[in-house]
Amino acid sequence: MKRIDVQSLRDVFIEQQILLCFNGPFSATLIEEIGHALRLHLESLQAPRPAVGDVFSAYIELTQNIRHYTTRKGLTCADAQATLVVSHGTEGGYVVSAGNVVELADGEGLAGRIDALNLLDAAALKAAYKTQLRQPRDPDAKTGAGLGLIDLARKAREPLKYTLVPLDAGRAFFSLHVAI
Amino acid sequence: MRDLIVAGTDSIPAVKADWASGLLEMTGDSYPENAFELYQPVIDWIEAYLAADQRPLNLRLTLLYLNTSSIRALIDILDLLETAHQGGRAVAVVWLYEPDNEGVAALAEEFREDYTFPFEVVAQDR
Repeated sequence: MKRIDVQSLRDVFIEQQILLCFNGPFSATLIEEIGHALRLHLESLQAPRPAVGDVFSAYIELTQNIRHYTTRKGLTCADAQATLVVSHGTEGGYVVSAGNVVELADGEGLAGRIDALNLLDAAALKAAYKTQLRQPRDPDAKTGAGLGLIDLARKAREPLKYTLVPLDAGRAFFSLHVAI
Repeated sequence: MRDLIVAGTDSIPAVKADWASGLLEMTGDSYPENAFELYQPVIDWIEAYLAADQRPLNLRLTLLYLNTSSIRALIDILDLLETAHQGGRAVAVVWLYEPDNEGVAALAEEFREDYTFPFEVVAQDR
């Protein structure tokens, strides 16, 4: 039997102040179940109610975005997996991070959108949000139609951070970090 | 048209639309992956109700967390009410929130500012 190095995993978790971590394929049910556990866990840590709400919201938007993307692209196996990490941030805050395999061009597009959002102040973000809300809806679209990123940028206490690491075959690993 | 009843779960709100009284209530969290699967029957019900006669329509929302997909769906619902209101129909929304849940109040206020029909955001103890 392969012996998992539990202790070194533990060391990483402690060193990076990780509260909750998941890696694997997300199903709609799993997103709900983990979200439920995340809320209860934060409440048990006496996190303030607005913080619990915003961490939960960032978690849902990030994981549902990944689900929509992997479904739309028909990704399978390891490429359909997502990595989610909720950790302690600075000054009593939290950081919700999520990453998945994307096509490099999609990752670059996303990076460009985030760079643009990070230039906006609160009022401009609200205006962008309202504009996006008023965009005609594609009847077949299942998502929030581009609202998710703006919503994350509005809830975040710092500019959104991302990493885009090219992989082979035109793919890349994209991860997004939201400080709450 | 019949009443519309949807049992709520962790991720979808309970929906109760009463044809006789013209009252539509939605209560709970709303974060299904595809919000339009949930909200399309609600949209259909409202369209049918507004088309049937001239009785008032009241929405009583006790919604908590909404994902962006649900927010987008709710906009379509409130737009229906706005159109009806512009046409002289009596429509109104009351959005109830718990006093310690300011995030919900802020969300409801952002909806409210885009509409001209009566739209109240009211703190209510459990």
